[in-house]
Amino acid sequence: MLFLENIKLALTAIRANKMRSFLTMLGIIIGISSVITITSIGASAQAMINKQFETLEGGYMVLMLNWRNTESIDYYADLFSWDDVEALKNRFPGYIRYIELMNLGNNSSTTKVGRTEATLTLYGAGADYNKFDKSIQIIHGRMINQSDVDAARENIVIDVKAARQLFNKENAVGATLPTAFYGEEKDLTVVGVYETPPSIFSGLMVETSYTCYVPISLLLGSDGRSAYIEIFASEKDDPIVQAEAFLSYITKVKNKPDDFYMYQSADEQISQVNTVLGTLSIALGAIAAISLLVGGIGIMNIMLVSVTERTREIGIRKSLGARTKDILTQFLIEAMILSSIGGIIGMALGMSLAGLGMSAFGIGVVIQPIVIVVTVIFSAGVGMFFGIFPARKAARLDPIEALRYE
Amino acid sequence: MKPDLTEIIKLQNLDKTYRNGNISVDALKKVNITIDYGEFVAIMGASGSGKSTLMNILGCLDRPTGGDYYLEGIDIKEKTDDQLSFIRNQKIGFVFQSFNLIPRTSAFKNVELPMIYGKIPARERKERSVALLESVGLGDRFEHMPNELSGGQKQRVAIARALANAPTIILADEPTGNLDSASSVEIMEIFTKLNRDSGNTVIIVTHEPDIAKCTDRTITFKDGFVVQDLRRKEAV
Repeated sequence: MLFLENIKLALTAIRANKMRSFLTMLGIIIGISSVITITSIGASAQAMINKQFETLEGGYMVLMLNWRNTESIDYYADLFSWDDVEALKNRFPGYIRYIELMNLGNNSSTTKVGRTEATLTLYGAGADYNKFDKSIQIIHGRMINQSDVDAARENIVIDVKAARQLFNKENAVGATLPTAFYGEEKDLTVVGVYETPPSIFSGLMVETSYTCYVPISLLLGSDGRSAYIEIFASEKDDPIVQAEAFLSYITKVKNKPDDFYMYQSADEQISQVNTVLGTLSIALGAIAAISLLVGGIGIMNIMLVSVTERTREIGIRKSLGARTKDILTQFLIEAMILSSIGGIIGMALGMSLAGLGMSAFGIGVVIQPIVIVVTVIFSAGVGMFFGIFPARKAARLDPIEALRYE
Repeated sequence: MKPDLTEIIKLQNLDKTYRNGNISVDALKKVNITIDYGEFVAIMGASGSGKSTLMNILGCLDRPTGGDYYLEGIDIKEKTDDQLSFIRNQKIGFVFQSFNLIPRTSAFKNVELPMIYGKIPARERKERSVALLESVGLGDRFEHMPNELSGGQKQRVAIARALANAPTIILADEPTGNLDSASSVEIMEIFTKLNRDSGNTVIIVTHEPDIAKCTDRTITFKDGFVVQDLRRKEAV
């Protein structure tokens, strides 16, 4: 009950001198708001990056030539072939959900339909690639399938934006698309139209070409080779463990030394980025926390002044029966409430700032409830720590002398 | 020692010495006083006579350096600070010369304060506070702040506050010192009524003979000693 009274008392004292209370809280407000802004932005950036990787299925990795180790490449012996892909498929059944040679580079094609021109980026896909890359949502027709890949059919799945631009309609299934790649001109048949669900990046990127999917076997040819193999590994085991297994096997098969080939794993990269962002957030947050220290000192100063001003009042309370403990509690609670209110204001400010900053980038803010709880508790803690000294000073006043104080 | 049930205060060979470095001041010397329940006492003396020191000791704000103080049979010497706070809260009601109300706090809340420290629940506090303010004639001034009240009104709030926990003793230190004559009369009438009708033991410290005349017994101090202890015969 006395606790409740002390809270009311503290609020009354704070209200009685609003300007002074506000100036006292300012340090805490600035400290908390900067910590919140920084950590919110950090958390949001991490969430955003993780979200982007969510469009890809798990276990994504690429086996590739280790360019640093090799000086000259023997096209046939060193690059990966369809046989290598088969070898891996047969050696690790159940551990590989998708595996194909991957074509990177030199796959741009300018196409002209009627009077309209467009630039296409051709991506060599295996069967049902859209199951693994969710940015490909088929809205008309179908995706490249196994039969297309086996026969290296001249089929293509195009972006709905390309369909609209070249054919003036979305459902362009069946249309003929003239393309040119690797020096050859080919007329491809549209078997499917896809669209990409809008993402955080949608607003950011300017598209100069449309990505379209053709069978990888068409792009590379039956004797095609590539320095890259694209794999979606299973979720049965740690992606790194699986990557190491695939790598060491194919290196043995191709009779090459260790380090001749390497892998890059999406999971590894995601965790690296998260680690960097996380560390950065913590570092910046710690710097911001220094202003919290200053804020706490401010509270201590004001409480000391307050105690001196209320010396008489403390004497009166003691004469009426307040114990040392009662006076201590009264002033301690006042300090804690001051700092808690400052913390709440700082948090609101910090979140608004984070929201403002993020919306400039078109990114949603991640506000974790745990942060709110920790902030309030922490602010109260700061108040308690810095309020103890003035509170004890007040509690120890001799009532007779305090009553004499002018 | 079996306490005498009529005695509310018993001072035996009470000494109080203040030490400040090498200087020591004997404020009270070998004071022997007994006060019974229901007495109306004035403590008189010039300034420096020790009367304020006595009041601080009677009110358990200060401890004697020698001798004994029994309050309702309780040996004050043996009590801890927290216990003394409790005794002050429950058994003693202070009234000060400069009123000593908590500023920026309503009359109502001022009267409540001893009850808060006495751990009385809110509803009961409210009822008592209202009743007490009414009994001193301030029924229409609950929400007033001290700076909105006249001197006499402030002192009446102080008296209501002193009565909050129904203490056995009212200790008033120059209660009319800051009041004009009309208010002084009002306040002394309230004290007289408290003593005669409610049976409160009232002890008033004063240097004014006119005030002392309102009481039944005057104890006079000089240089720390009791030099006179006179009971007034009731005027027939």
